[in-house]
Amino acid sequence: MRETARQLLREREVGLVIGYAAGSEAYWVTPAFIKEEAQADRLVWNPFCVNSLAKYLINYHHEPYKVAVVVKGCDSRALVRLLQDNQVQREKVVVIGIPCLGVVDAKAAALKIAPGTRILGASVTDGEFLLQTESGTLSLPRGEALCAKCRYCENPTPVLADTLLAEEVAAEPAANIYAEVREVESWPREKRSAFWDGHFQRCLRCYACRNICPACTCRECVFDQTDPCWVAKAHNLSENTAFHLIRAMHVAGRCVDCGECERACPVNIPLRLLNQKVIKDIKELFGVSTPGSRLDEMPALGMFATEDPDEFN
Amino acid sequence: MKRIGVFVCWCGTNIGGVVDVPQVAKAASSFPGVVLATDYKYMCSEPGQELIVQAIREHRLTRVVVAACTPRLHENTFRKTLERAGLNPYLLEIANIREQCAWAHQKQPGRATEKAISLVRRAVAKASRLEPLFASTIPVTRKALVIGGGIAGMQAALDIADAGHQVILVEREPTIGGKMAMLDKTFPTLDCSACICTPKMVAVAQHPSITLYTYAEVEKVEGYVGNFEVTIRQKARSVDHTKCTGCGTCWEKCPTRVPSEFEQGLGTRKAIYVSFPQAVPNKPVIDRRHCRYFAAGKCRVCEKVCPTGAIDYQQGDQLIKEKVGAIVMATGYDLFEWEKVYGEYGYGRYPNVITSLQFERLINASGPTGGKILRPSDGKEPQSVVFVKCVGSRDPAKGKEYCSRICCMYTAKHAHQVLEKLPGARVYVFYMDVRTAGKAYEEFYLRTLQDGAHYIRGRVSKIYPEGDRLIVRGVDTLLGRQVEVGADLVVLATAVVPSRGAAELARLVGISCDQNDFYTEAHPKLRPVEANTAGIFLAGACQGPKDIPDTVAQASAAAAKVCALFSREEMAAEPTVAQVNQFLCYGCLECQKVCPYRAIEPVTVSENAAGKKIERTVASVNSGLCQGCGACTVACKPGAINLKGFSNEQVLAEVDALCL
Repeated sequence: MRETARQLLREREVGLVIGYAAGSEAYWVTPAFIKEEAQADRLVWNPFCVNSLAKYLINYHHEPYKVAVVVKGCDSRALVRLLQDNQVQREKVVVIGIPCLGVVDAKAAALKIAPGTRILGASVTDGEFLLQTESGTLSLPRGEALCAKCRYCENPTPVLADTLLAEEVAAEPAANIYAEVREVESWPREKRSAFWDGHFQRCLRCYACRNICPACTCRECVFDQTDPCWVAKAHNLSENTAFHLIRAMHVAGRCVDCGECERACPVNIPLRLLNQKVIKDIKELFGVSTPGSRLDEMPALGMFATEDPDEFN
Repeated sequence: MKRIGVFVCWCGTNIGGVVDVPQVAKAASSFPGVVLATDYKYMCSEPGQELIVQAIREHRLTRVVVAACTPRLHENTFRKTLERAGLNPYLLEIANIREQCAWAHQKQPGRATEKAISLVRRAVAKASRLEPLFASTIPVTRKALVIGGGIAGMQAALDIADAGHQVILVEREPTIGGKMAMLDKTFPTLDCSACICTPKMVAVAQHPSITLYTYAEVEKVEGYVGNFEVTIRQKARSVDHTKCTGCGTCWEKCPTRVPSEFEQGLGTRKAIYVSFPQAVPNKPVIDRRHCRYFAAGKCRVCEKVCPTGAIDYQQGDQLIKEKVGAIVMATGYDLFEWEKVYGEYGYGRYPNVITSLQFERLINASGPTGGKILRPSDGKEPQSVVFVKCVGSRDPAKGKEYCSRICCMYTAKHAHQVLEKLPGARVYVFYMDVRTAGKAYEEFYLRTLQDGAHYIRGRVSKIYPEGDRLIVRGVDTLLGRQVEVGADLVVLATAVVPSRGAAELARLVGISCDQNDFYTEAHPKLRPVEANTAGIFLAGACQGPKDIPDTVAQASAAAAKVCALFSREEMAAEPTVAQVNQFLCYGCLECQKVCPYRAIEPVTVSENAAGKKIERTVASVNSGLCQGCGACTVACKPGAINLKGFSNEQVLAEVDALCL
């Protein structure tokens, strides 16, 4: 990755490389914005590179230079989202794709890794993540440490890349991808209502889920508008629920299921579950693939086709 | 502060019989901004409108709410009322307390009154946020396109052209005339169909203001009312019509015979052909599917015999672009394909079971038998003819639910013709009901009965061959018993369905169809000849089954509508169109993708961002194309698109008024 970045910067192919750098703890990585060849050594790639970097591209939309960005499979769907929304121009992006065997849930890892530990190297086997530290090799069992979104990965290999930094990884057949959604669907209405009320009650309305979302790129979000006032600023269950439902509907058919909203949520609201419910329903209604999997397949709710079902006719 | 007047209509007993109208007015008087609330028996009447005008002047009203029937009926009426009183017409809001309240809740008057009050509260909330809107004008191209050259299309074209406008008539078959040219006689007067149809065909061809494209199809329609741009595909005729004199040598010598569409398969034509001797234009086309030269690369007989060198095997399709201001759809009908579903009638395997259109050719003096009724299997004169009505009509199980309207009368005509031409023949008509609503129709039917036709009320359950005859088994519901009738010839009155390709054409032109693919009119009673897209009009059976008088009447009506549109050089455009707030728009262009009218385009705007001049893409609405459907406003996530007259603010105020 460092070599690719150096080469792109050296040959003035790009003006910026967006990748990962080590964070303040072993299980955190931080986005790195590398503009000079010499800084490329800061870049890292390890099983903690969970965050999606694609959305940073929109900050460079109007820059004269090209930008290179590191994407995993799930992040590549986010990039497709941005391309389809005209927020990023394909010709101004160099996509460095990393086929990925799954990433680690930082919250699970934090329990196992002592503060101040430095990671020297990492590898992934079928059953565990192996981390080389100064004090020896540390093993994180895959079952415990794997990020929830990686349990059923539709695109281990990026759907879109100019260069791939590793061998392609084949997708496993993901039959059970919406098992949790089905579980919640099977509950009686009162239980579902109580479940979501309980979560929405705790929402801080910090809007981190929105800010991190690759499908949320409006210039002025409806939740920030005061005239008309779509959602009041009051912090209560009613307004919180309105916020979450509007958010879910605004990304309906566009959510790429990257799970970043849920990761960013400081109070652990299962936002991905809500999004997956919508994705599942739209897939069943319109027979589309997960949004972002195909550059030529536009969002189901953002199209007009004469063959669309028209139950009012 | 807005000064709102509320006018609650009784609509006689339509509303007043259910809803406590004075109470609604009383409740409305307490709503914010309302300075006057009153009621009247018929608000749409002259004195009712005068009441509104006077109130606007006296109470210096700035917004008006009318609680009455659906806005589809009288919104325009009351807009004009406001205009008369000097108010902007778009400062009106209608509360529909008839269709959506009084009619729906007749059994619960108390709750209906409550609902009416809520609906008025909603309307008042919206009215206080209404802004004046101003209609812009768009230029009108005074040239009409008529699609379909049957009697409907010909009549519409002639009427528009006679009013002094240019007309383009497009017909996909090699000749105009349509189904009417195939018919023998027309009910109830029994005048010869060809004698009244072919002069019209000639009139169309000779009219200086009509440009005729036969053997051509409309390929693309862009633009909007007053400004359509149409692409017409002139299919390759393989004959240069500028050289051809129509002498007929080519089709005499052509060695290939195929079943003739015009003769409904009862006769043959050549591979180079004119559909029938009176065809317009009376010049041939080569049917490339059946032509020996096109199929096998050998023959070229027509080329050899043509005295003018008009045969052109290399001729390709031609695309013609035309600008028109209005479009008349006159695509007509086809017959229901009974062979596919009526197994009990033999799936079309018995040659002596024919459709009524085939019967028209059989009895036509210019038809394959020279007008003699001879059964197809062996050319014998039938002694017993059975007519079966409602084959595919009024049969939701196998065919269509609707009544095809014309079958009762033409079957009576056919029965009469058989009895007239074959003295001594027996005629049986199986029917469900006899529907003869029309001038002199019932009289005609009674005459057929007097002629000796046996009408049997009941459906036919089976037709099967026995020897060289057919046995028709059915039920006589009046006698309550099974009947079996021996027949030499059976004629099926098959349902009228929209002509093949009607639904695809509707999509291409941008109008809608009902569940049977008949074109939908803008309003079933008040706008029966207009499609729901502005500038597109309907004539004839493409809108629903019709006989010739109704078709001609509707065609003339459509022509009158076109002429009204063409009476001005510019027309007022509805101001209730979408508008983009370019500051909020982030250029995802989802609105463009969901717009059914292709009214949204990307434009580039420049602006300063952090001291730098940048360019970005935003959406922009073409207000001429926009029909105000609102699809884009829903697709727009940041709420950057507002539909004028239905802005986000207005709609939210309505929701608040109803729900809070």
